[in-house]
Amino acid sequence: MPDADRFRDEPVGAAITRAALRAAIPLLIPAIPFGLVLGVAITDSAMPAAVAWSTNLVVFAGAAQLATVSLAATATWLTLVATAAVINLRHVMYSAALSPRFNDQPRWFRWVGPFFLIDQLFALTSVRTEMPGPEWRRFYLSAGIFYFVSWTTVVTVGLVVGSSIPTEWRLDVAPAIMFAGLVVLGLTNRPGIVAAVVGATVCLLALDVPNNGGILVGAVSGVIAGYLADVAETRRAEQRTPESSSG
Amino acid sequence: MNAFAAITAVLSVGMITYASRAGLIVFLADRPLPLNITRALRYVGPAVLSALTVNLVAGGQGIDGVEFVEVAAIVVAIVVAAVARNLIGALVAGMATLWLLLWLL
Repeated sequence: MPDADRFRDEPVGAAITRAALRAAIPLLIPAIPFGLVLGVAITDSAMPAAVAWSTNLVVFAGAAQLATVSLAATATWLTLVATAAVINLRHVMYSAALSPRFNDQPRWFRWVGPFFLIDQLFALTSVRTEMPGPEWRRFYLSAGIFYFVSWTTVVTVGLVVGSSIPTEWRLDVAPAIMFAGLVVLGLTNRPGIVAAVVGATVCLLALDVPNNGGILVGAVSGVIAGYLADVAETRRAEQRTPESSSG
Repeated sequence: MNAFAAITAVLSVGMITYASRAGLIVFLADRPLPLNITRALRYVGPAVLSALTVNLVAGGQGIDGVEFVEVAAIVVAIVVAAVARNLIGALVAGMATLWLLLWLL
């Protein structure tokens, strides 16, 4: 434990909190423009601003919040919830990956911890496999609460600034640009590209499906296409391996 | 959307978000997801976010809601995101394209 020496002069808990914040800050920076865009979208939303703002406290998931707030004008309750459910499916993956770390944790933390499980927190905590349970819990909560407070602050700033920006600036386009950028940054392999292209194309063809149902039709088609492309790619790789090892 | 409908929607989205994060931790601890499910879940992000982008551009008015300037801004943002791997850069480039075109046209 090389870290033990470094932490000798101060209480271990405080040292872990400091380490958590130091690790958390760099990952916050790319989320700032997203938070500002969400704040502006709240001022544009068909929802009352206070209700749209409360998604920070109730939902705390940037993409699901932005979708809820910006779809409110055209979508029904069912579409909003179904879209959020699909967007949130990646959290199921995070939760599956972290669940072994939660097994030996106190019951209260198993209930409270998941609320904070945003992408950044997953990135920070899933790699700290060597940390003992209590220290990991402190690290997780320190970074999680830090993200919760700073996210809410950034969105609030965006809301205040956004309401004073004239509509001719067309900031209503920013959420779509944001989502397009997120798609591209999330693409790590060819099946991912297949999923994105199919998702967008099918949604475009299904724009006339009532209640924004095109999002779900597009998303489901994209996932299936991505999955099939992944299976095909794996099979191709498996066929290639024996040849290259024999040659 | 009235306040009651909005509150109901926000609470529902909140519950579903929490459930997706807590489900496996609180209720199904120690039972790993089947490999096929994990594999499919990997493509949820790109599929749903790209569909959402298209839907937001249309703005609930079908294909008629798609504006040239918006599409151009998004195409530029996609190129910048792909080349620079940077979300802030993509947002700035996309908005700059939008403003430039609105000013020119």
